[in-house]
Amino acid sequence: MMTSLGSGIAIGYLIFVVLGLIISIAILWSTRAGRRDGGQGVDLEKAERAEPWWGVFVVGLLAILLGLTIWQAPWFTENDDPKDVQVKVTGIQFGFLVQPTQVKVGQDVEFAVTSKDVNHAMALYNPKGQMIMNVQAIPDYTISRSYRFTEPGTYEIRCLEFCGYQHHKMIYPAFQVTA
Amino acid sequence: MSTTIPPIAAGAPEALPYDDARMPLPLVQARTRRFVLRVIWSSTAFLVVSGVLGLLLRLRQGQVIELGDNFWYAVMTAHGLGAFIAWAGFFLMGITFWVLMKVGFPVRSFVLPELMYWSMMAGVVGIVLTTLLSGFGGSWVFLYPLPFFSAGQWSNTVTGIFAGSVLLAGVSILAYCAAVLQTCISPALQARKDTLGQRVGLTFGFGLLFPSRFKTDRGRVPYPVLPFAVNAVDMFLATLPFAALLVLNIVQSVNNGFSINVLLAGNMLWAFGHPVVYLLLFPAAATYYYLVPRYAGRDLVAGKAVAVAWLIALTMNLFVWAHHLYMNYPDGENVQQTLGTIMQPTTYALVLPSALSLFSIAATIYKSNFQWNVASKFLIAGIISWLVAGLQGIINATAAFQETLHNTLWIVGHFHNMAFLNMGLLIFGAMYAFLPELMGRGWWNERLGSIHLWGTIVGAYGWVTCQMIQGLEGAPRRWAVLPDQYLTLTHVSLGFLALLVAAQLVFAYNLWTTLRRSPFDDPTASFAGGTQR
Ligand code: HEM
Ligand SMILES: [Cu+2]
Repeated sequence: MMTSLGSGIAIGYLIFVVLGLIISIAILWSTRAGRRDGGQGVDLEKAERAEPWWGVFVVGLLAILLGLTIWQAPWFTENDDPKDVQVKVTGIQFGFLVQPTQVKVGQDVEFAVTSKDVNHAMALYNPKGQMIMNVQAIPDYTISRSYRFTEPGTYEIRCLEFCGYQHHKMIYPAFQVTA
Repeated sequence: MSTTIPPIAAGAPEALPYDDARMPLPLVQARTRRFVLRVIWSSTAFLVVSGVLGLLLRLRQGQVIELGDNFWYAVMTAHGLGAFIAWAGFFLMGITFWVLMKVGFPVRSFVLPELMYWSMMAGVVGIVLTTLLSGFGGSWVFLYPLPFFSAGQWSNTVTGIFAGSVLLAGVSILAYCAAVLQTCISPALQARKDTLGQRVGLTFGFGLLFPSRFKTDRGRVPYPVLPFAVNAVDMFLATLPFAALLVLNIVQSVNNGFSINVLLAGNMLWAFGHPVVYLLLFPAAATYYYLVPRYAGRDLVAGKAVAVAWLIALTMNLFVWAHHLYMNYPDGENVQQTLGTIMQPTTYALVLPSALSLFSIAATIYKSNFQWNVASKFLIAGIISWLVAGLQGIINATAAFQETLHNTLWIVGHFHNMAFLNMGLLIFGAMYAFLPELMGRGWWNERLGSIHLWGTIVGAYGWVTCQMIQGLEGAPRRWAVLPDQYLTLTHVSLGFLALLVAAQLVFAYNLWTTLRRSPFDDPTASFAGGTQR
């Protein structure tokens, strides 16, 4: 099952794909007219003059997307305020050291993620199997990322950065969130 | 022997006589033909191998077959490098010289192209041996320091040999870049004032931007030159830090006391790892620029805007690498975070070359008397995939979405959509378009070509769509065995893959029969390859 952000991405993407396909089909269809008049019935200079405006339009759309999203980059959404609990997650081929292993719903939890050997990543899956966090575990560095749990249950941590031949077995199955 | 190059397209400038004669033009043509055919056959062989490996990967993920854990990752490493570099990259590197010749830029010396060919071949042999035989399974990006933490699966010596083999592929790319620049920045430009500055300016589109300052007797420089030349400069520059990283890996494989900073290594990797995607996309763009006008029967509709777009590509391409490191924002490492903030807009800027190219191509096709055949249909399908996969690219470039997408199968679906359904379909289109003129004989059966087309489109879109959905549902990338929640979609994708494979078998049969049976309609070309040497 997708998270809400995942479904949002899917829907936004599909809208543009459908638009793009409609335009593509219209252009391909127009070659039927071209066949009748030998391709003479169109002002190519005009198309060439329109091209910079298409460029401006695309830049405009991208500028809007940039303005809406850049503030949501993970390094901007994370703040330095003190949190209720810190959970230390250390990746090591091929498992996670998690300390403490239990938190409460409603607490501000800060995960401090690092690694002892190669790059790993802490991906947290909720009881429904949705991925709700994805934090790199980099040797010699720590990344802090906060989360407030709303649902109790057993969460699973999976490694999401390729770390060797047991990568797919690098799972911490029982991170507990209690009510 | 025929001395004229076949005409390009109605309205396009005639190809030039070769005026930098170290070799007479007919000889250059014949050698280019043989060289390009050699690259086409070699890279197609690599496609067969990598395709089979890819299939094994997916079959194991669907729990249809058993593969040892480390072997799966070794196969994944070989498949990634094999499909991306040794098939798609190598093929496009090869046909570059054919397209350039057709637009009046014949190869000036075969030293660099031959170096490109042989060092790629040697590199691929090394990669195949170290992965499939010696078990190197660090993935195609072998993110440092993983090559030195094999958990007992391969030795440091194997890492060293693997890095050396990849370095050989890097040398091949460097030789290619130098060869392209040597071919483009040449007398064939027919610069009115023949200075180096004028030649460089003309090569990079200044003749379109400042027509009174940069003049050529050709009227204007053909558009395909732009992406080829831009890619050559960028890949040359981008390969250098990567080569340095490979050398450092080799040093560490000999002297285990040596090591490098992990973040720095990541940056060095991606300073190359991003542009290398354009080692495929830009030559593909150039080939579209060349082939679409041929079938539309008119010149590419382009002008100043396209010249600006390629200057943006030339510069920005080298300043976007950190979008692969969005998720590396360690506490207190402001430099990496700032790089991420800067490189989201620079990455967006790189949308322009694609957006404007698509506009130009669309305008060229619009209401044209378009010639529909297997080759042109493959091109159209590739172009539409360029749009579709490009939209995914914009999503990926957005840091805020990365926590949902990074290292999931969405990414795998995206790059297969781009690599197989854009560049790959272009490559097939180019085979349908160029092999007849390269071999001097037509395709055996057009109908089989159509089956190949539709089988490939339906099979490949079905498969990549499954991967993208799985990714949005959080399915991890690079997992030999996926959690059970994803099994159904993996099985669905295997059905589509069966169709894809069947379509390639039809293609193989058609190619085989063409080589054995098709009559030579251009006897002058028969010496260039094929069976009647
Ligand atoms: C014949 C059809 C193909 C199949 C069935 C296939 C299948 C796969 C699979 C299952 C993976 C592993 C995905 C994962 O779980 O991370 C993979 C990875 C990859 N594939 Fe393909 N693939 C095919 C064609 C291609 C092509 C044409 C290209 C490039 C031109 C390509 C490039 C790659 C790359 C770069 C990787 C990543 C390797 C890594 O992560 O180290 N593949 N492919
Ligand atoms: Cu790991």
